[in-house]
Formats: sequence, C-alpha cells, structure tokens
Amino acid sequence: MAKQKAEKTKYVVPKSKFNKTYIKRYWQLYALLLLPIIYLIVFKYLPMRYIIIAFKEYKLNMPLSKMPWASVKGQTDALKYFKAAFKDIDFKRALWNTVKLNLLDLIMGFPAPIIFALILNELCFKRFKKVVQTIAYMPHFLSWVIIASLATQLLAPTDGLVNQLITHLGGNSVPFLDDPSHWVGTYVGAGVWQNFGWGSIIYLASIASINTELYEAASVDGAGRFKKMWHVTLPGIKPTIVVLLIMNLGYIMGGGFERPWAMKNNLVIDVAEVISTYVYKVGIQRLKISLTTAVGLFQSVVGLFFLLTANTISRKLGERGIW
Amino acid sequence: MKKQLLSVVLAATMVFGLVACGSKDAAQTSAPQAAETETTATDDTAVDTAEATEPDTNALDEQRGMQDGKFIETKHITVELYDRNVDGGTEAGNNAWTQWIQQQMLDRYNVEVEFVTVSRWQEADDINNLLASQSAPDICYTYNYSAIQTYANMGGVLDLAPLLEENKDLVPSMFDWLGEGVIYQDLDPNAGTLWAIEGKRNEICRINTFIRKDWLDTLGLPVPSTKQEFEDTLIAFRDNADTLLGKDASKMVPMSISYDVGWRAATLIESFMDPDITDKEYYVNGYDSRALTQNGTKEAVRLLNKWYNEGLIWKDFAVHTADDTTEDDMIKAGFVGAFIHNYDYPFRNGKDSINATLAAQYGEDAKFIAINTFEDKNGGYNKYTYSNTGDRKVFFPATNDEPIASLCYLEFMSQPETVEFLQIGEEGVIHTTDAASGAIVIQAPDEAHHDWYQNSGKNIDMTINCNGLRLSSPELTTLSLAYSYSDVDPEDVKNAIEVAQVDAKTPKTPSVGDIQAETEGTDLDGKRDQTYDKAVVASEADFDSVWDQGIEEYLAAGGQAIIDERTAAWDATYSSDNL
Repeated sequence: MAKQKAEKTKYVVPKSKFNKTYIKRYWQLYALLLLPIIYLIVFKYLPMRYIIIAFKEYKLNMPLSKMPWASVKGQTDALKYFKAAFKDIDFKRALWNTVKLNLLDLIMGFPAPIIFALILNELCFKRFKKVVQTIAYMPHFLSWVIIASLATQLLAPTDGLVNQLITHLGGNSVPFLDDPSHWVGTYVGAGVWQNFGWGSIIYLASIASINTELYEAASVDGAGRFKKMWHVTLPGIKPTIVVLLIMNLGYIMGGGFERPWAMKNNLVIDVAEVISTYVYKVGIQRLKISLTTAVGLFQSVVGLFFLLTANTISRKLGERGIW
Repeated sequence: MKKQLLSVVLAATMVFGLVACGSKDAAQTSAPQAAETETTATDDTAVDTAEATEPDTNALDEQRGMQDGKFIETKHITVELYDRNVDGGTEAGNNAWTQWIQQQMLDRYNVEVEFVTVSRWQEADDINNLLASQSAPDICYTYNYSAIQTYANMGGVLDLAPLLEENKDLVPSMFDWLGEGVIYQDLDPNAGTLWAIEGKRNEICRINTFIRKDWLDTLGLPVPSTKQEFEDTLIAFRDNADTLLGKDASKMVPMSISYDVGWRAATLIESFMDPDITDKEYYVNGYDSRALTQNGTKEAVRLLNKWYNEGLIWKDFAVHTADDTTEDDMIKAGFVGAFIHNYDYPFRNGKDSINATLAAQYGEDAKFIAINTFEDKNGGYNKYTYSNTGDRKVFFPATNDEPIASLCYLEFMSQPETVEFLQIGEEGVIHTTDAASGAIVIQAPDEAHHDWYQNSGKNIDMTINCNGLRLSSPELTTLSLAYSYSDVDPEDVKNAIEVAQVDAKTPKTPSVGDIQAETEGTDLDGKRDQTYDKAVVASEADFDSVWDQGIEEYLAAGGQAIIDERTAAWDATYSSDNL
C-alpha cells in the first residue's frame, strides 16, 4: 500500500505549466499526440483562411489573395453576400427548418438513448441484453441513402409496404412522405431509429462505472427498482448527460447533409430544406461559392454562440463544462 | 526500446505524409500558373499572326509546333465523357471505341487523348468541382449554357473567338458541319467573346405520347385522338384493371409521370399553348425548357391535377427522385397504360427497352405506340421539336494548355467518317445492311465483340457536336433512322417519328448575346419542379392558390429578371416579334 502511494506521488502531474523533464520522459506519447494535432491543423485550421471568400468575389483560377472584394455596381461592399442571403426566401426557410428539425431531433432523439440504456440496464439475462443491444446498434452503420430508400419502399403513398397493409386492412393511405407535417414525423422518427442504440453505448458505460455499493445501500433503505433508477442511476450519469447535451446544443445550427438530402422530395421541400442542403444546391450545384461561404460562416458563428451559452449555463449550475 | 522504435516509425510516417501533401499542393498551385503563361503565350502568337501580312501555312504550322498537320511533339489532352453506368455496358472511359479514338488522334495529329468520365446524372456537380480544383478536362461539354456563362464570369473559360479566328484553317470540317451560324451562335455581340461552340442535332424529334396498344385492343377501344377521348381511355384502364392485370389489378397505373412534370407532360402542356405564339414570346419565356411560364401551361397542369385527383395518375411520382428506376420498372412490368416521354423512349436500350421487355413477357402484341391525342385550340396537335442548331455546348476551361490540339479533336469529331464509324461501327459487329431497302440496321454486338457495346445510343456521348444519326449520305440517314434501334419493330419507330412531327414547330434560335440574369438565380429548376409537383397533387379547390404561389416564388427567385432581360435583349436586336 505504501509502495503504491509512493509511486502515485512520483507520477503526479507537476504544477508548473511547462516541464521539460516531463516532456522528455514521455516524448513518445507526445509524438503520438502530434498526429491528431497535425490533422486538425491541416484539415480544420488551414482551410479556415478560405472563410474570407464570403467577403470576396470568387474567381476560378485565381489565388485567394488576388480575388477582388465583393462589390455592388463597382462599390466595394464586403457584406454583399450576407445581405443577399438574408434577402433570399430559401435561405430564411432553410435557417428556420434547420433550427426546427434539430430542436425536434433534440427533444425526441436526446432522451431516447438514455431511456434505452436505463431499460437495458435492468435486464438480467446477459445474452438477451447483448442481442438487443447489437440489434439496436445496427441502423447506425447504415448510410442515410439506404435508410431513405428503405423509407420509400416502406412508406410510399401507394407502393409502400406499410400503406399497402393499411389499405388492405380497409384504412386510408397515410402520406408519410408526401405531406409536410407527416414528413417531419418520418424524418425525426428515422433519426431516432438510427441513433438511439448507438447513443446508448456511452450511457451504458457510464452506468457501469456507478459504485454498486450505492445500489446495495439503496436496497437496504427499501428502494425498489424504479427508486434506484431515479435516485442512483440517473444522478450517476448526470455529468455524462450534461456534457452530451451541451455538445448537441452546439449542433443545433449544424446537422448533417445526407439525411435531409436523401429524405427530401419536391412536395415537402418547404419543411425539408436545411442550411446544408441549401449550401450544396446553391454553392456546389450553382457555383455561388461566395454566397454559400457567407451562409456557412453565419451558421458556424451562431453554432458557436449556442455552444458557449450552454457551456456557461452548465458551469453556473455546478456541472462540468466541456473544457 | 520497442516503444522508441514504434514512435520513430510513426513520426517518420507523419513527416513523409506531410511532405507528400506539401509537394502535391505545390504541384497544384504551379499548374494553373503554367497554364496562364502558356495561354498568354498563345495570345502573343495571336497578335503575331494577325500582324503578319501573309499567313503562310508553313509559318503557321511552325508556330503551332506542327508539321504536315501533325504535331512534332506529342501533345496530351483530356476530354470529358459521360459515364451512364449502363447495365451490361463496358467501362465508360476504356473500351474499343475510346481506344479507337485515341489511336486515330495519335495517328492523325500526334495527340494523346485521355478521357475523364463524369456521371451523366451529376455532370454539372462534377464539372463544377473539377473546375474549382483546376483539374477540369481540356474539352468539356454540357447542355446548360448558363452554367458555362457562370464559369466564364468567374474567369474559368477560354475565349474561343480569337482562337477560332487564327486557327480557322485547322477546322474546315467543323465549319462544314456546323456552319458559321451555329459556331458563332453564342458570340456576345457587345463583348465579342465566344465561350462555347454549340453542337447540332441531326434528329429533331422530341416528345411523344405513348399508349399500350394491346390494352386498347383488349377493351375494344379506338386509339384516342382528343383530350376527352384520352381521359375516357384512362378511366377505362382504371375501371378494367381486373381484365387487364388480373391478380395484379391493384398495381394498375393508367398514366405515369415523374417529378419532372414539365417534361413528362410536355405534349399536353404544348397543346395548351397558342399555336400562333410569336417567336419573341416563345423566346422570352424559353429560358425554362419545361415551359413553366408559357401561356397555357397552367391550364394543362389543371387538367393533370384533375386526373391525379381522379386516380388516373401514378400517386407516388413525386417521392421518387431523378435516377430512381421505379417508374421504368413499373412500365416494363406492364402496369402502366400511358406516358409521355422522349419520342423514342420505349425503343431505347435494345433487349432492355420497354417494348422488348413487354413483348418478352406478354407476347408481340404488348407494346407502346406513339399517338397524337392532345388537340390545340386550332384542332391541330401543337408541339415543339428540338432546334437543329444548338445542342450540347463545347467549351475549353481556362486551364486548357493545349487549345490547338483541342481544336484538332473537334475537327476530328466533325468529320463525317468519324461520326459514321462511331455511330454504326463496322458491318457485322454492331450493324447489318437490310437487303431490301439498303438501310443500316443497328444491332447489339455479340459476346465476342462485347467491347464494341455502345454505352450511349449511337455513341452520342462521344460525338460531342453531333446528336442524332449522321451517315455520310443524308438519304441513307433518313432511311436508316427507324432501323437504328435493335430488338424492336422498325414500324413502331417509323410511326413514332411521324407522330412526333405532326404539327410540330421547330423553335428559332435568336442570337442576342449573353443574358446575365440567367447566371443569377439560385435554384430556378428546383423551384419549377416544386411548383409543378405541388400543383399536380393539390386538391382541386387549392389548385389556383398553389400554382400562383409557386409561380410567384419562381419569378421572385430570378425568373422575372430573366424574362425582363430577354425581352430587352430581343427588342435591342430585332425590330419584329417574329424572326
């Protein structure tokens, strides 16, 4: 025991900010860390200089520094593309849809893995638990293109399996894909279906680290299953929940491209167009690079604002932030 | 020790990785610079040749680095080629045809040709990316002129006017085939720039309405010849699903369309347009190839909307996207009674064609025939063919550092023998000669010659400035047209060609210069399709408001600006409303 303690003190992190001996001793580990840092610099930080395209007129075959500043009728107006974006009804629609769909995703999709993890935790047959867990993970590995075609096969108004079943049973076909409000439900539902199994892994790990003595103590005090869940498990994974919530709030203005792109169709475009699909359609397909860089920049700034706010609130509430 | 070794290896990998990245970057940035200097070099020679009093062919040849029409040093050019991912086809960029072209270009001009394949269905995205990354092929083509104009505005396209001016003697066949009018169709009268060279169509038929002949026979119905009769026929199909489809009765679709309503209802829409419309009105509203803002379109869609609500039109059309084959599969399975499409759609793709598939399942009688059934207000069947001038547009990106060798490629592609070989190949391989009429009959190659399979009909993707059968003799071309589809009845093709030309008008192509507003809109085609789709599925009571709102958004998103600029450009160029 004493020997262990001695070792612990020996390896404790030194208080000083920069310690040469420390780096010297563990330089191999630092060398390994270099790889991800270089990745971040090359692929995340260096490209950031192209943000300036949002304030310039994009030209093919011209180095960044030589591109002229954005101008309206010869008058330099660096904010031209921001103004243009906010005049564009499609962008405003995409902005609103992004927030709306992400919020719905958060409300429906965030609690789902927690609930699933709690339920799974209560199962006593180990093998059954494993099987259920694996089945629930699976959709995570399907691409959205596949999920969207599955959805079309299952939910199309007349050819879809589900609607064929409904009509054969004498009901009316449900417009899962072609009516805007139904489509939102389908979209959110598909998202929950794809992610709840995968999302629950981190909670299960977190639950496993809860001290079992707490459960024993609760049992002695006469707590039932539900009480134990409420008073032991949930508080035990609260820090995990908070950190994940903050990170998810950071995505409220973001969100992937594949899911809305693969699932949208012309009839529901008013609720399905989000910023990422707008950027692809206008920027890549119509080559309006400056306009969509402006949109992307705006999106990132708002996203950052959400992240910082959530982090501050969480710290104020006495929880750990993400840094 | 082991740990140290591992970290050294890892660090080394990283360093090498970085070096590799860096050098690639360097290569990429230096390439366009090199291109720039070389283009300026050709510009300089342009001045020289213009100043030279006697353009001596030998001197010209020398400046181009050529001798007897051949480059002294081997040149290398890259050429765009659509990849259609055909079932049972060959590798798009490497097959007997591409190898033949490569060999010919090497023999004739000492030019190495490399094909860059882009997906047919995402060509615009692919070309955008290639241009932005400075790696676009030297010769590009697309159907969309406003895209080229967008590239040109960004400095990404080579001006062909001076290039043609000084190298006209290199491309006699191109001038023969296209003519000055087509070559300079896109010349901007004010700036004098020429960003693209238009191609030509040799077959101008465009659309047809098709109906299942065997279903008409089974139900004892005549071939419909008016809108009302057509509607009655669709109703008869719907109500007799049990007779026509037996146990598959629930799969009956009297008429199918796709999300691209403007195209897939084109004969109907054009029948609602005024047959006496002026050239100016047609042109002004003609930016959109789907006639969204033409006079009469709304009433056509209203009729479609009525049919949709009566269960005569496929309910699921809007949820399937561009490259989805659900509808084709449905038509081939025999569940569909009528549709509107390319004038030759049921005959395309040999054994996999719609008519061949139907015949294989249900017997020779099961087939689609082309009909004229949507009467216009004068009692004719108003419709439009393609214009034979102007089709695919060929352009050279600014990164093209071999513009002269690229011109040689266009010259090669304009020669009648080249086109004829690419279209019909060698006798016995992909065509035979009909003993009675002497017509050329296209057939699919056998197993031994599979490498000569044509990935696109008549190799249209390779004959970049010619769309449609073009044999050395025009008489033979007309005669052979009906035989250029394998595995289907030539009589049906003949009928389709005739039907497509009844009361058909060929749009005039005015030359009024670049319309800047056409590069401004953000997503006009998307807006147009959304308007069409939403209007078709609306309830009859909501139809007007849905349509009007869609049109309003389309116009606000840039449609109106295009109409206005086109009107102004027309007024500035022509004094009359008709050409």
